[in-house]
This record gives sequence, C-alpha cells and structure tokens, in this order.
Amino acid sequence: MSSTISARSSSSADVADAGSARRAGKRDVWLVFWIVPAFYTAFGVIFFALARVMPPPRPDVTTDQMVHFFHAHTLTIKIGFGVLVLIVGGAGIANGIVAYHMKRMTVGSVMAYGYLGAMSVGALPGCLLVAFCFLTAVYRPDRDPHLLALLYDLGLLSYVGSLGCFSTAYFAFAVAILYDKNEIFPKWLAYVSIWQIVTEIMAMPVFISKAGPFAWNGSIAFWLGVVVFGFWLSCVIVFLMKATERQPIDEPPLD
Amino acid sequence: MQILAEAEDLPKTANIKTQLISLWTAPAFGIVLMIAFLAFPGFFPPMSPDMTADQVAKFYSDHTALIRFSMITFNLCGIMLLPFFMVIVVQMKRMATQSHIFAYSYLTAAVSGATLFALADIFYLVAAFRPDRSPELVMLLNDMAWMIFIAPVGAFVAMNLLLGAAIYFDDGPTPVFPRWVGHYAIMTALAMAPAAAAAVFTTGPLAWNGAVSFWLRNGAFALFVVVMFFVLRNVLHRQAVDEGVAT
Amino acid sequence: MANAEQTEAEFGAAAASSVSGAERQRIVHTPGDGHMWVMVLGDLIIFGAYFVIFMVYRAMNPQEFLTSQEHLNINIGVLNTLALLASSWFVARSVQAARAGDHARALRLTYLGGLCGVVFILIKAYEWSTKIAAGYTISSNEFFMFYYMLTGVHLFHVSLGLLILGITVRELRNPRRRRMFMVEAGATYWHMVDLLWIVIFALLYVMR
Repeated sequence: MSSTISARSSSSADVADAGSARRAGKRDVWLVFWIVPAFYTAFGVIFFALARVMPPPRPDVTTDQMVHFFHAHTLTIKIGFGVLVLIVGGAGIANGIVAYHMKRMTVGSVMAYGYLGAMSVGALPGCLLVAFCFLTAVYRPDRDPHLLALLYDLGLLSYVGSLGCFSTAYFAFAVAILYDKNEIFPKWLAYVSIWQIVTEIMAMPVFISKAGPFAWNGSIAFWLGVVVFGFWLSCVIVFLMKATERQPIDEPPLD
Repeated sequence: MQILAEAEDLPKTANIKTQLISLWTAPAFGIVLMIAFLAFPGFFPPMSPDMTADQVAKFYSDHTALIRFSMITFNLCGIMLLPFFMVIVVQMKRMATQSHIFAYSYLTAAVSGATLFALADIFYLVAAFRPDRSPELVMLLNDMAWMIFIAPVGAFVAMNLLLGAAIYFDDGPTPVFPRWVGHYAIMTALAMAPAAAAAVFTTGPLAWNGAVSFWLRNGAFALFVVVMFFVLRNVLHRQAVDEGVAT
Repeated sequence: MANAEQTEAEFGAAAASSVSGAERQRIVHTPGDGHMWVMVLGDLIIFGAYFVIFMVYRAMNPQEFLTSQEHLNINIGVLNTLALLASSWFVARSVQAARAGDHARALRLTYLGGLCGVVFILIKAYEWSTKIAAGYTISSNEFFMFYYMLTGVHLFHVSLGLLILGITVRELRNPRRRRMFMVEAGATYWHMVDLLWIVIFALLYVMR
C-alpha cells in the first residue's frame, strides 16, 4: 500500500512540476471559466454592433425619429437580441463562477449569495427587458408610433437605469475581497468595484435628463460607465482565470 | 459583541463579520427606503385604480420631481435589502437536522421577489419621463407599475413558508431560531398573500390601494424586516459564542 | 539537490552582507498599501474625467453657468473647504502620532478628523436644503445638475471615508494590531477626498 501511495504522490509531484508549464486547477471549473470570456465577447458584438444599444440612440428625438430608428435597424435587432435570448444563460454562468470562487474565500458564504442574488436580479430589468422591448417594437412593422416610443423609452431607461441591483452585487464583492485572507482576488479589485458603484450613482439622472452628459447616452451617465465596466469586467475575467489556475486540483468540493 | 483576541483572524470570525455587515445594511438602507416611501406623493393616500387617464397624467406632471426622487432612491437602494435575506439563507444552512434544501429554495425565491421589486420602480420612472406622452399610455405604465409593485407576493409567501418549515424541522437540541419565529413567518406570509388579488380587483380592500393589498401587505413586510433584524442579531451573537468567536 | 541548497544559502549570505547598515536604515517605503493607491489614482482619473466634461459643457454655455453660479453661496463653500482642510490636518497629524507610537493621541486626532467630516456633511445638507427651497433643483439646468451630482458623489466618498476612518479607529484601539500601513491607507483615502473637494469647490464656486 505504501508503494501505491508514494507512486501516486510522485505522479502528482510530476503534475505539479508540469503545472508551471501547464495550468493546474480543476477541469470542470476550467470549462465553466472559458464560457465567461466567450459569452461576454458575444455580448459585446450583440450590444455594440447588432442591437444598437451601445451606444444607445438618443433620448432627445421625436416620435418619428424613434420609429425611424426601429425601422432602420429591424434586422440587426432581431438577429442580435434573438441570439441574446438564446445565449443569455452565459450571464448566469459568469455569476456562478464568481460566486463559486467567492465561496473559496475565508469569509463564509453570505457575500457570495449576495453577489449571486443581486446579479441575478439585474438580469431582467438590466438586460433582458431592453431585449424584449426592442424585439416587440420591431415585431410588427406598422405599429402605432406612440407605442414604439413607449417601448423605446422603457427599454433604454431600464437598460441604462438599472442601478441598485448591480450596486448591491459590487458591494458584496468588494466587502468579501477586503476581508478575504485567501487572496482569491486582489484587494484593489474591491476598489474597482467601488468605482462601479460610483458610476451607478452617476447614472441616476438618466431618468431626468434628455440631453447632455447625464442623459442615458451621455458622456458621464453612459460612456464613463461603459469604460469603467469594461475595465472591471476585464479584471474579473483575468482574476477568475488566475483563481481557477491556482486552485489545488485536489481541493475538496465546497459546502 | 466582543470579538475574542484569539479569534480575530479566523475564517469563522470573518463569517460572523460579513453576516453582521449584511444584517446592518437592513436598518441603514431601510431608513433610506422609508424616506423614499414617505416622499412618494402617490402613497398617501395610495393612488386609486379608478383614476382616469387624464388624472393619472396630471399626477405625473404635477409631482414629477418627488416621483423621480422617491423612485430613483428605490431603484438605487431597494436591492440593498437582499444581503439581509441572504443572512437568513446562511442561518438556515446551519440547521443541523435537515438538508439544505429549504435554504436554497429560499435563496432563489428571494431573488425572484427582488427582481419584481427592481422592475416596479422603472415603470413609475418611465411614466414620469415624458410629460407630453399620451395619457392613455401614462395610465398603462402606471397600471403596470402598481401591479408589479403590489401584487407579486408569491416569492415572499414562499420564502416565509420555507423559513417556517425549516424552523419546524429544526427540532434538534440546538435550534438556530426560536420556534415563535416560525409561527411569525407563516403569519407574515398569510398577511401578505391576499395582495396578489391586486392584479385583478379594481376597487375595495383588495385593490392595489386597498387596506389589505397596500397597507397590510407593506406593513407586514416592513414589520418582518424589523423583527427579523433583532432576531438575527441574537442568532448571530449565539453563533459567535458557540463557535468561540466572541463572548 | 544538496548542492543547489548550498549555493542558495551562499548567495543569500553574500546578498545580505552587501547591504550595508546605513542602507538598511534608509529603506524607503511607500506609505499605506499599494491597493489603496490604485483606488486613489483611479478615483482621481475618473473624477478628472468628470471635471473635464464639466469644463467642456461650461465652455459651451458660459453665460448660463456664470449666472447659475451666482446662486451658490460661496461662504458656505468656504466653510465646507475649511472643514475638510481641518479634518485632513488632524488625520495627517494622527499618522505622525501613530508613527511615533503615541496611539492614544493618534486615536484622538482621528476622531477629530472624523468629526470635521461629519460637520462637512451637515453643512452640505444645509446648503442643499436651502438651494432646493429656493427652487434650484437638479433639473433646473445643466449647471445645477453638475452641482448636485458632483457634490453628491463627493458626499458618497466622504461617507465612505468616515467608514474608513472608523476602520482606522478600530485598528488603533487594538493593541495587537496598529499596523502602520492600515493607518496610512486610511489617511491616503481621506486626503484624496479633501483634494477632490478643493477641485470641486474651485470649479463650481470660484471659477469665473
């Protein structure tokens, strides 16, 4: 028996040595990890190129201009948001792997549940509502213009203006990172999450302003938010990869 | 709670501390949400479903500033109550004599309930966004806002029934919660359940402005948060003492 | 394997002996911790962007911005600035006291710094209420939207700063901790909050 044990331990030592050239970590976690950048790349293509919500069309337009927007982009909206509706499970998966690594921190599970819960809340008002408002708007080409205007406003205000769900998630994320002694994520990522909360605060006026930096397409309420979010998301993906890499292959399953 | 010196850097201490933070977000943001609730011009008295489209449109154009202040606050701060409910999830998982099934079902129910709440304030804000929108459409948005705010009680009813069941099943020597909390949770569920009828009734106590659907529902919910804050504080203290984290 | 260990030990001994006593005295250390500096620098960049955008909109609409600015009470602005400057001074001195090992004094100074922060918030709340009562709300015009949003998000930072000062107090009160980098990190953040206010004050209240 001792010979089997030593044989096994020497082979795992080989794996550990090879791990400096090849990644460690668990293979099921790796599978889930790679879904995250794949999903967000698709998300970027959909939201920037196809669905035309990034950047969003202007709030300070007439009803006719809103109608024109929907008519001009009917095809790409259908393709883009149609695909989103199929692949949006990727957002849930991304939230899941973050919550998974948060549970590996030394802080207990309550913040992981808070992150998971708050991000899940955000999926509807902050992402899918605009998808279905726009899909409905382009579903019948001859809909009354005033109904199209309502869908335009409802979609874009919910998309840019869903603030609290994400703020709560960033809060839970930041607190967990700051208390964590396993250094699953670096401490400065907690501060980047605080910047995210700042950008949510700066988006509050989208419900008031129709033009200028605080409108839903404004330089402060929208663009700066996108830049900070892009940076945050990139950091999260990089550190998810590192956390997955550094996870010991024989770590027992979480509670 | 006095954290013991030897326990300061232990994971189980951080577990208590993060739960305490999640617990205290409830009064901190509860006060803010209460201010927003009091500020909304359509709650005292609650707007009637009988209002005509023109009356609804006039309401939104007369009170735009306060409507926006109150609903933007709900938007930014409402989901900050979620961590509080996640403490209940963690405590349910500590119950020794059961699987964790109630806890996980509670978690998902809380998320679905919070989603509906996050959605409701958006409709009020869209209704207030363009004063020149047709009154019929403003009334449509207002109807959806009220219905989505008041009627979705299913998630919370389920949560409380699950909590009640978990407490009743937690019949070992060291239950996490006192037994009366189980009764209280079920009572809260029963008090809030009738508000589902606000999706259907346009007059009377079951309409969204009625005594049952508005006042009883919201009062029971607010009271639940207050009561559970104190209950959870005690539960966390006992957990800390039991685990050797605090005195 | 034994040879490798030997070489390593020799190398280490050689390296250690090459650092002279005087050099070891002068080891420079960046105050606070690197993570807080990421926070501070990133926050300054983000606010810098807000300030640039403010200037752009001001340049597009100088008359409206100038006349709206007249409705701000510069005296209250000055009081706010003095409150934060005083608080920064207390916090800086508390760091010095902590470095000297006088933790009781450091604690008192931190409390004083926090008190000034609370005074700042109260003054700001008073100012906002007078402006709103006079009819200058967030939707009055572009200038006032900037005013409320910039001072508002700054107020969020002040509140966060009070939380951080509270953590500093916890650190100083615990004889088993009192880690300098924690005290310094808290002070770094607080000074950033002060710096941001000075720029906001200059842009919104003073600049003509």
